[in-house]
Amino acid sequence: MSIAAVKPVQGTRVLSYAGALLETMDAALADHANTFIMGQGVDDFKGIFGSTTGLAEKYGAQRVFDVPLMEEGMTGVAIGASLVGDYPITTHIRADFSFLAMNQIINLAAKYRYMFGGLMRCPMLIRIVVGRSWGQGAQHSQSPQATFAHYPGLTVVMPSSSQAILDMYPAIINRHPGPVISIEHRLLYNLDFTVSPSEHRVPLTSYVARKGSDVTVVATSVMVLEALRAAQYVEDKAGISAEIIDLNSISHPDWDLVAASVAKTGRLVVADTSWLEYGVAAEVCRQLVVRDPGLLRQPPTMLGMAPAPCPTAKSLEDIYYPSQHETVDAILTQVKGDKHGIALPVERSMTEGYKRFRGPF
Amino acid sequence: MSFAREPLPKATAIQLFKSLYLARRSEEYIVKHYPENLMRTPMHMSMGQEFVCVGVCSALEGKADVFASYRSHAAFLAQTHDTDRFFSELYGRTSGTGEGKGGSMHLAAPDQGHILSSGVVATQIPVAVGAAFANRQLKTGRTAVVFFGDGAADAGVFWESINAAALFKLPVIFVCEDNGYAVDTPREARQMSKSLSDVVKPFGADTYEDDSGDVESVYSLAKEAVAKAHRDRRPAFLNIKCCRYLEHVGIGTDWNWGYRDQATVEREWIDRDALKVQRKRLAEHQVSEAAIAAIEDEIDKAIQASVKRASQAPIPTPDRLHAGVFYEKA
Repeated sequence: MSIAAVKPVQGTRVLSYAGALLETMDAALADHANTFIMGQGVDDFKGIFGSTTGLAEKYGAQRVFDVPLMEEGMTGVAIGASLVGDYPITTHIRADFSFLAMNQIINLAAKYRYMFGGLMRCPMLIRIVVGRSWGQGAQHSQSPQATFAHYPGLTVVMPSSSQAILDMYPAIINRHPGPVISIEHRLLYNLDFTVSPSEHRVPLTSYVARKGSDVTVVATSVMVLEALRAAQYVEDKAGISAEIIDLNSISHPDWDLVAASVAKTGRLVVADTSWLEYGVAAEVCRQLVVRDPGLLRQPPTMLGMAPAPCPTAKSLEDIYYPSQHETVDAILTQVKGDKHGIALPVERSMTEGYKRFRGPF
Repeated sequence: MSFAREPLPKATAIQLFKSLYLARRSEEYIVKHYPENLMRTPMHMSMGQEFVCVGVCSALEGKADVFASYRSHAAFLAQTHDTDRFFSELYGRTSGTGEGKGGSMHLAAPDQGHILSSGVVATQIPVAVGAAFANRQLKTGRTAVVFFGDGAADAGVFWESINAAALFKLPVIFVCEDNGYAVDTPREARQMSKSLSDVVKPFGADTYEDDSGDVESVYSLAKEAVAKAHRDRRPAFLNIKCCRYLEHVGIGTDWNWGYRDQATVEREWIDRDALKVQRKRLAEHQVSEAAIAAIEDEIDKAIQASVKRASQAPIPTPDRLHAGVFYEKA
């Protein structure tokens, strides 16, 4: 399905998120002989939700291969191969599983360039997938962008669309000289996007996903899509013009862009896929306040996961995440106050908006 | 067990002696000058167990990618003989291996085959497996060697790495510098198995035990293990018994800790110190006392010169604090 609010802008074709991933993985293997992909299940028929399907057959088991269940060891292997001249791509089908590799990612990969005075290059791509809905539960739903971006040395990105993948991955793979963690979102995998050839965008930073003048919405990953849908709703119902900034690069956002937008609108909503405490939302506020405490005309609104481990019962899961209902309400409240009186969308569960998304997966 | 089946050639014996002497004397310099507080970095001294790294690195004749632990001095010097960058790093100078940002635990000279040393126990082990993987794919002909202590074999990632190397048919040389202690906790208090090798073997690695304390034995063993690993496309696990003469971290002895007996250590290890033994061997090879003294004098002078260069090298300027965190132009 196409999300109604995402207007096709001079697109040349339709491509799903998984399809964009598969194209960039395929191109990476075709273009760079030193590139390989390893991870649990990369060579099976599901191929990381369709993002590596058929590549093992096409490029051979030496370049696309399954690994034992050893996240730390596997990540160390990738780092070692990288130091000697290969370009490894590793995958974790849930971001939660990358926590087993934290020792290698944080204690080694993040620090090698600095700690060894520039002698080390550790180029590699770690793809991790955030799960959401259908009872993913506490250990299959976490979204660790703030955790990774906290450690100097890691480049962290969150592609929110097929276009973002087409823009970023070719610029990362075999070109970016350091370790990159890309946090992909499971809900996006099966969505179709209209894409145009990737030529004009600066990939590893933030960009304006929708121009507006009344309120700034800074969003990450799937929340960019939610914000775009909400922006269309508030424009249709209340004539509100919301500007959406896709933070896109969590470690290297364009804070000038964010500050300029907030200077223009004076109103801010932050919509993140993770917890608010010590997270992206907190960092956005820190960046703005340090620049100029007068940028905001009123207190901002923050949308993120409830401060609890993720529950599985649908009645709880639906209110655990910010829905279209809350996103629209946040934008309306920023512009018109909490007594805005405008009817909110009844959609309380994101899966209702993403009809093709069904478990099990 | 000893692997020196026949005496090594005189030239090899001299080379091994030089390498041992270089590591020992460099650390003796550190012991003497550490109290001046100009080398501000925690020292995990190799003294006593240098023969392990010297034996293995010498056997590889430079065609190696070496990974080491925070007990890094002997591995670094055995592989590189580069006292200039070594002391510069310890003194926190820009001419050091990490331009003064790494310190004793993080020495690296990838251009000389010492890829890195790592400060968190066992973290370097899977990295060596990755290097072996890339070496095969890129056909470099180099051998990945990783040094670690018996404490690292407590860690899960050690077993992950042994399994991965065997599974991927990689000729990784795992060298356990088995000094018997994780800080002051003996192996018996940490591991149920009588012998690490017995547990490693069924993973699909060739295992070798050596308790000779002798650099020539280790050298011969490493030669054999490396050849077989490449021939049979299997990892090798070398368990080399050794003795750390000094405390876990720092330049002092630790007899007062009470976890090991000084007289026993002296009788079992220090009395047959590998450097002393190798020096005697040179005499057996008809190298005169004067010639040995000349070798020693040359190395001592080289160390002094390196220390002098290090102490005169620039200290990092404040702009280096933020440089090189990411991959911007630094």
